[in-house]
Amino acid sequence: MSEYLRKILYLISFTAVGVTISSAQDRPSISPYFQLQYFKNTKDQAYLQTTLTYSLNRIELPLPGMVISFYTGEKRDLPLGTVMTDEDGIAKLPLDGKVRLPFGADGQWTFNSVFDGNDTIDQVAADISVVNMDLEITLSKVDSIKKIELKASSQINGKKVPVIGEVVIIYVTRMFSLLPVGEITFDDNGTGTIDFPSDLPGDENGNITILAKIEENPTYGNIEKRVTERWGLPTSYTVPETHRALWTKTPPMWMIITLSILLSGVWGHYIFAIISLILIRTDAKRKKVNDEYKIKV
Amino acid sequence: MQADRKLLYDLTPELTRTSTRWYITFFIFFAFFAFGIYALILQIDKGHIVTGMRDNVVWGFYIVNFIFFMGLSYSGALISGVLHLFHTAWRKPVIRLAELITVISLVIGPFFIFFCIGRLDRLYFLFIYPRIQSPITWDVIAISTDLVGCFIYLYLSFVEDFAILRDFDELNVAPWKKKLYRILSLGYSGTPRQRKLLSNARTIMSAMIIAIAIIVYSVLAWIFGVTLQPGWHSTIFGPYFVIAAVFSGTGLLIILMWIFRKIYHLEEYITKRHFVNVGVLLTIIAAFYGYFTFSDYLTKWYGSIKMDSILIDKLFNQYYSLFIFANYIGILLPGIIIAIPKFRTIPNITIAAIIALLALWVNRYIIVIPTLETPFLPVQDPRPDWIKYTPTWVEWALTMAGVSIFAMLFMLVSKIAPVISISEMQGKDQSEIMK
Repeated sequence: MSEYLRKILYLISFTAVGVTISSAQDRPSISPYFQLQYFKNTKDQAYLQTTLTYSLNRIELPLPGMVISFYTGEKRDLPLGTVMTDEDGIAKLPLDGKVRLPFGADGQWTFNSVFDGNDTIDQVAADISVVNMDLEITLSKVDSIKKIELKASSQINGKKVPVIGEVVIIYVTRMFSLLPVGEITFDDNGTGTIDFPSDLPGDENGNITILAKIEENPTYGNIEKRVTERWGLPTSYTVPETHRALWTKTPPMWMIITLSILLSGVWGHYIFAIISLILIRTDAKRKKVNDEYKIKV
Repeated sequence: MQADRKLLYDLTPELTRTSTRWYITFFIFFAFFAFGIYALILQIDKGHIVTGMRDNVVWGFYIVNFIFFMGLSYSGALISGVLHLFHTAWRKPVIRLAELITVISLVIGPFFIFFCIGRLDRLYFLFIYPRIQSPITWDVIAISTDLVGCFIYLYLSFVEDFAILRDFDELNVAPWKKKLYRILSLGYSGTPRQRKLLSNARTIMSAMIIAIAIIVYSVLAWIFGVTLQPGWHSTIFGPYFVIAAVFSGTGLLIILMWIFRKIYHLEEYITKRHFVNVGVLLTIIAAFYGYFTFSDYLTKWYGSIKMDSILIDKLFNQYYSLFIFANYIGILLPGIIIAIPKFRTIPNITIAAIIALLALWVNRYIIVIPTLETPFLPVQDPRPDWIKYTPTWVEWALTMAGVSIFAMLFMLVSKIAPVISISEMQGKDQSEIMK
């Protein structure tokens, strides 16, 4: 009997294991989107950024808490470090200069990032090659015309060479987004100049932030330079408090008057009705006193 | 204060005894109400995700119910105010019902706004940071003003009855009820001065209540009308809403007349003539309401503004059945039933009223929902539930709870005071009233 029971238990166990394995195998794994980018900000601080996301019902959702490994070299020769993705699925690795980055044959750096995957998410990897670009921005005034000059150079095999033919967009910051005001194409010397418009509003002191941006460039990645200068028109955004409108704190006078007349009219009648009820009560009390007096007399 | 004894014997039995059927009916309504409370707790716990409302369609059943109940309230005020002001003789058996519709609906309606608000904890901001430029602020002021006015008006109509009930020695009710009658009657004994004071107050309040009802329901309509949404941005929305409200209220009045006539055996007081009179009123209002509806949609259709055209196309396709029911069957059928003398029986008029009431609720639905399902900007990720509103069981449960509490309050009030005003009925030419 016990042998028979044992056989049944074995059978149930094997079936359970089999079902578990097959269900695990059947479970669809996530194929994430993986992007590696190179950034260099206005302080010449470079960093690598990896974005790990996946698609669910056609919505791109982040994968937070995943460990991303960064490498440099064409064959992932040198590990740069590991970073965990944040709540937006982004992992950033600063290139702080402590590691000497090996140059490739054309003087470029090659970076790799790898996500090793897990039970539910597929392994993914990406690589990019970038050439280090040094971008300089100079603001000047020539006969009261405001000019923006850019100069760009790169290091190839230890030599400083001008960047030729690349396009840089010039923006100014606005409340919600960047406003493009022109573009510069580098000449043979790696320089370019544009006139800056003189009628752009700035803050109350006329300060305006100017940006030169190279975005998603296949050779140089993402480079940005920004500078703040008093090149805008001073603007005051304060609305006079006395201004009456639908959208200000103080409503139009006609609204206050209309509402006041309506409410006082209505509540005046309510008060009349309530006073009438009070008088009915008073009359009843007076009648009661009179009746008691008559009875006594 | 003495009253016609026959009237007292006929109208007060329901105050002294409560049948098993009454308890069962009350319990059924209470069960629906309790289920609604469960749904509400679930909604508070889980959030609005348990409803069909989403980012795009932010208003659903709750706003529809809010407009519907508020409409019933204002129509009750209008009907009772007009009938009182013009001293219509046949009004007397039905005016109390209209007054009760006013107050009970007005108490229930605003709760649906609370169900709709995501951050109830910030509700008091409406009072501490009011902006009188906002129609929402107008609505808060208007509803609270109307609520106070309706309570005063209802109370004024009850004072004489409370005095009669207080002085009716043979009324075998609980001591607390007697005490309540004594307190609420304010010592009224019908002296000439008291009569004059009460009469003046009632006349003024009846006129006031008509004006308030029109203004307040117009304000509610303007919440929609002042927006630039397709289907809502209409200059006739104010009067259109008021007429629609009276239409639904008249329908409800007929239904309540039928119910209370049946269960409280008031056949002698609420006669076929009353049904026909209120029914004719319903037909006349249906004609106006139909005219406003046609006018509103015609101008939108003829104007051919892109979003209006999309909306009208949606109404005639996606919402075809509801649109036909609300704006054709709901208007024409009650009119036909009541207009043809052969069909004018009490059950037929009541059926016409039920159709009118349901049609009006559906009309509110197709005013609110299809517009929100027609956004100006295309939605990037058109998941069905972001665009298409589908009410969940939670919303159905709270809707049923609203209907149930309406019925329960009516049942409870009918145990405190007669549903036909004794003071209105007594001392008049009974034959004139019954006509």
